[in-house]
Amino acid sequence: MTTTTVPPRRSDEPRTPQGKAGKFFDDRLNLAKPLRVQLNKVFPDHWSFMMGEIALYSFIILLLTGTYLTFFFDPSMVETVYPKNGTYVPMRGITMSRAYESTLNITFDVRGGLVVRQIHHWAALLFVAAMLVHMCRVFFTGAFRKPRELNWLIGLSLIALGIIEGFVGYSLPDDLLSGTGLRIAYSIVLSIPVVGTWLAFLVFGGPFPGDVIIGRFYIAHVLLIPGILLLLISAHLALIVRQKHTEFPGPGRSEHTVSGERVFPLYAAKAGGFFFIVFGVCAALGGLAQINPVWLFGPYQPAAVSSGSQPDWYMMFLDGSTRLFPSWEIRLWHHTLPPLFWPTVVLPGILFTLAGAYPFIEAKMTNDRGKHNLLQRPRDVPVRTALGCMALTFYMVLFLSGGNDIIAKAFDISLNAMTWGGRIALLVLPPIAYLVGYRVCLGLQRHDREVLEHGIETGIIKMLPSGEYIEVHQPIGPTDEHGHGQLSYGGRPVPKRMNQLGAASPLSQIRGFFYPVKEKPEIQAALDELEQREHGDVETAEGPKQLTD
Amino acid sequence: MSDDIESEFGFEPAVSATGAADGAAQKPARTSKRRGGLRRRISAVIVLLSALGIMGASYAAFAGSSGASDTGTSKDDIEAGRQLYSVSCITCHGANLQGIKGQGPSLVGVGSAAVYFQVSTGRMPATGQGAYQARKVAKFDEQETEQIAAYVQSIGGGPTIPVGSLRGDSATISLGGQLFRINCASCHGTTFKGAPLSAGKIAPSLNEATDKQIIAAMLSGPESMPVFSDNQLTPAQKRAIVAYIQTIKASKDPGGAGIDRIGPVSEAIVIWVGGVGALMIAILWIGAKTR
Amino acid sequence: MTTHDTSTEAPSEEQIRQMTPEEAMIAGAAIDGVHIVHHRNRFPIPGTKAEKRAERAVALSFTISALAGVAFVVYFCAGKWKWHLPGSPQTFQYYTPVLGGTLAAMMLFLGVGLVLWAKLLMPEEETIQDRHDVPSTPEDKLFAEATLVAGLEDTGLPRRGLILRTMGLAIGAVATVPLVALVGGMIKKPGTQLLHTMYKPDPDMFPDTGGMVPIVDEFWNWIGPDTLEPGGLATVFPGVRKKNQYGYDGLTDASSPTLLIRLRPGQKVKARKGQAHFGWPANNPEYLAFSKICTHAGCPASLYEQQTSRLLCPCHQSQFEVLEDAKPVFGPATRSLPKLPIKVVTDKNGAQRFVAADDFDEAIGPGFWERR
Repeated sequence: MTTTTVPPRRSDEPRTPQGKAGKFFDDRLNLAKPLRVQLNKVFPDHWSFMMGEIALYSFIILLLTGTYLTFFFDPSMVETVYPKNGTYVPMRGITMSRAYESTLNITFDVRGGLVVRQIHHWAALLFVAAMLVHMCRVFFTGAFRKPRELNWLIGLSLIALGIIEGFVGYSLPDDLLSGTGLRIAYSIVLSIPVVGTWLAFLVFGGPFPGDVIIGRFYIAHVLLIPGILLLLISAHLALIVRQKHTEFPGPGRSEHTVSGERVFPLYAAKAGGFFFIVFGVCAALGGLAQINPVWLFGPYQPAAVSSGSQPDWYMMFLDGSTRLFPSWEIRLWHHTLPPLFWPTVVLPGILFTLAGAYPFIEAKMTNDRGKHNLLQRPRDVPVRTALGCMALTFYMVLFLSGGNDIIAKAFDISLNAMTWGGRIALLVLPPIAYLVGYRVCLGLQRHDREVLEHGIETGIIKMLPSGEYIEVHQPIGPTDEHGHGQLSYGGRPVPKRMNQLGAASPLSQIRGFFYPVKEKPEIQAALDELEQREHGDVETAEGPKQLTD
Repeated sequence: MSDDIESEFGFEPAVSATGAADGAAQKPARTSKRRGGLRRRISAVIVLLSALGIMGASYAAFAGSSGASDTGTSKDDIEAGRQLYSVSCITCHGANLQGIKGQGPSLVGVGSAAVYFQVSTGRMPATGQGAYQARKVAKFDEQETEQIAAYVQSIGGGPTIPVGSLRGDSATISLGGQLFRINCASCHGTTFKGAPLSAGKIAPSLNEATDKQIIAAMLSGPESMPVFSDNQLTPAQKRAIVAYIQTIKASKDPGGAGIDRIGPVSEAIVIWVGGVGALMIAILWIGAKTR
Repeated sequence: MTTHDTSTEAPSEEQIRQMTPEEAMIAGAAIDGVHIVHHRNRFPIPGTKAEKRAERAVALSFTISALAGVAFVVYFCAGKWKWHLPGSPQTFQYYTPVLGGTLAAMMLFLGVGLVLWAKLLMPEEETIQDRHDVPSTPEDKLFAEATLVAGLEDTGLPRRGLILRTMGLAIGAVATVPLVALVGGMIKKPGTQLLHTMYKPDPDMFPDTGGMVPIVDEFWNWIGPDTLEPGGLATVFPGVRKKNQYGYDGLTDASSPTLLIRLRPGQKVKARKGQAHFGWPANNPEYLAFSKICTHAGCPASLYEQQTSRLLCPCHQSQFEVLEDAKPVFGPATRSLPKLPIKVVTDKNGAQRFVAADDFDEAIGPGFWERR
């Protein structure tokens, strides 16, 4: 290119400190462009997108606190005697394993050890809980649909592994409670047909408890499973970056864009802040609420047990299914298929398989092969929402049955009645939940349509000259000659009250499932302009058949 | 018997009216921080030491059967007990303790330990028939309870109310814990919360149990509870168990609020309500638009 | 299908240099299809009261966080934390809560400060990013496919079946060997280990009783009929002090815990076939011994109701009727608790003592495939 004007002389040197620092790395790694791209990545700012972050952050907390605990914990089943001058007087002279003794030492002889141990345990409970909540969000809004089925599967594996990781960690202190759980786990492995005994001996190195299990669980707990978890979490996040977030429909939203805030600086500050908030909540729980007081439970001995023995909450649904399952044993050709096998191996197998297959089943049933980046409101897909309600009800009955002895004691109910109640509820409640969920969705849909057609109920009653009373409706958009609204439903919240139209209610400040978001005029203008630009573009060739009826 | 004597290892018993750790059969009491209690303690020791000589012989006679030695109740006590019995107990248990079918069981041979446990925990007089009688406010005071017990003992015999020291010293706590875990925890739980048994029956919580009630229960096996005779758990072992229970009950939780020491169920409630709940509020706040 | 690439033309270097950082940032983002449709300073006029207030709120949060950190360190070093018996004030009870509380305050206020900073002080923005998730073009697909096909043809594998098969074998070997090496090292043959307990008679160990194993309590005391009162219950063990290959003796072995029950007068046993004489006395048993290990999931089933003779397992609430030889009557368990045949012998001092006449006649504990 030939130009006659000589460009003004300028140095290549960056002018700002940031530029100077960046130059050092850019000279070596050519980072300028990828850095810009990453800093400008857009995250949706809807609150429900932060549930997964809770899980991520609690995992980081688990890594930090867990590393600390490894400095003191001794995963050994070697028999030892708690010293005669040990700090915790009620254990003096008691025979126990080194694992249990070192747990007592972390609790009573390491300054601040107890608070770290408790933060670790609470964070573990939170980790699985947050994953479950996140999974519900993804399910009910249809975020698992193509192209995100792979990430749904990865997420499901994370939950399964998280549960296993939690159980293995809970078993490490070798106390009376966890030992009881470990024995049940051994019995579950033992119950598997054909290979059960071999598998149990393989894992435990002999008949329960063997002499290796704590050591094996330890390496699985601190290296093997966290390693796999870390890999899967990385893949989960990489897929999110690759596919970008989903988002709710709204003004200016389309299948081809994602809107929100950029990583730098807004999202980084909020997400970074949220990490510390999650850590703060875990620390508060770890300090203020006592968890897993193994010193009260005592060391494990096979002959002892405590009434009211429960696993941690994420295993409780399996404990519940085991309690509810009838005493059906199959004996054939001199072999036994114990009743334990069905509720503890088959049932979770079915549950996880169904969950994993769901995206594909739904796509098949609805003949929906399109890609979806916009979420659905749960009410707009009544069948899925109803199925979700049914699954959650099933899970809740199992979960509550896992603590049915505690409930029986607390509310003075017969234990036998609790068991029978759970058995009946497990069969009766889920279908009811399905029907209720379905009807509620349809009702909400209908109301949305009504508001769009007739306007918002103002609460003003007017008497017509004919003497008829009618309620005045405020149309929310242009109307035709009959006074019927011309707006079509856009898959996003419809204002239902007058104060949602104009002045914002406090709740409309929350960008939620249920309340519309009132954008500031200037944002609205920009968004409208963008929508104009989008308009006329292909809005996914053919709308897929809906799950409605 | 004095009510407010400190127990052997120098702390306030979790519950009063423990029947007192009188220290006669124990090592001499350590110097108490409470001067006021010291004189009374010494006098109690003297009284009990002198009583010990007499009791020693009878103890030897009773050893091998069950229960500690006789409480040495007087005829007046028995007579007072008879009167209380004929007012409050006779309708169900009959004039001669023989029991009335469909009303109440025979009390012949249950012993004063059983009576003491049932009456002092308020289970008797019962308010109704049922598989399980819950603990309630006792109708009779300590003295009246002992009198009824003495009357029933005088007629039917059986395991007697334990006397003397009821709580082992601090060196026995861990032994008590070991015994508790293997013999008691299966029903009452490692944290004494109790548990439901089959078909509406209940193993009660030990939260309110006094030393004397715990030992009386072990000796008499009330309702569903198995009997733990002195041959199975020696009196010293029973005192160790009491020491463990009362020590753990009196101990503060080192890890913050004990959330009732129930374990995973209360932890599940805390993590879902407190943990997930708090973080849901946090994300609503973070996700909310600022004006 | 139209593409939705709304990326704009990149400005020249010269143009960028003329821009303010904000303009350049917006232009740079636009190149990647990131449209900052709204970017507004919350406080266009610097130094207003509202801005100062917001700034103070953030600074206050950070200050509280720092102070909480200091408090943590101070209390960590100075707080009383050693557990001791009740008696003197158990001040250790405050240690963990104060540490947790100050740590929580430090973290929470740091987090809240950051979020407040973002929400109150940073410019509000609404950004829309193109997904760029247009499907691969037919050309790209064809190219990729062709590259794969051609590459495979270069290897000649489709034609060279021999190589393919042998390579399959080699890969199979490489995949299998680590698995075998790992799992093989862990395999233990169950054999008959699940069928026997330490009650198996051993004449070498117990010559005095003809090999029959003494029944002991948790302190190795050999127990006899006088140990229990009617309605009593004890957890008993085989008195085998010799440790097995896993390092467990009679007290610590997980298959051996046994419940010895003395029935109340009048309680009659309906014994299972062939087990009528397992109790003691054999003709009209008053003492019964059952495996404590639940036949459902292996928990110690030991909640015994002496009056109603029910035995409850605390883990899954299986209920057993002791008078019918611990037959399961409620809950998920399917098999009776195995019954230990007990006898009474006279020891050196002439006292009556319990022994196990034989091992359990069936496998104890939960079911498994090989169990009949």
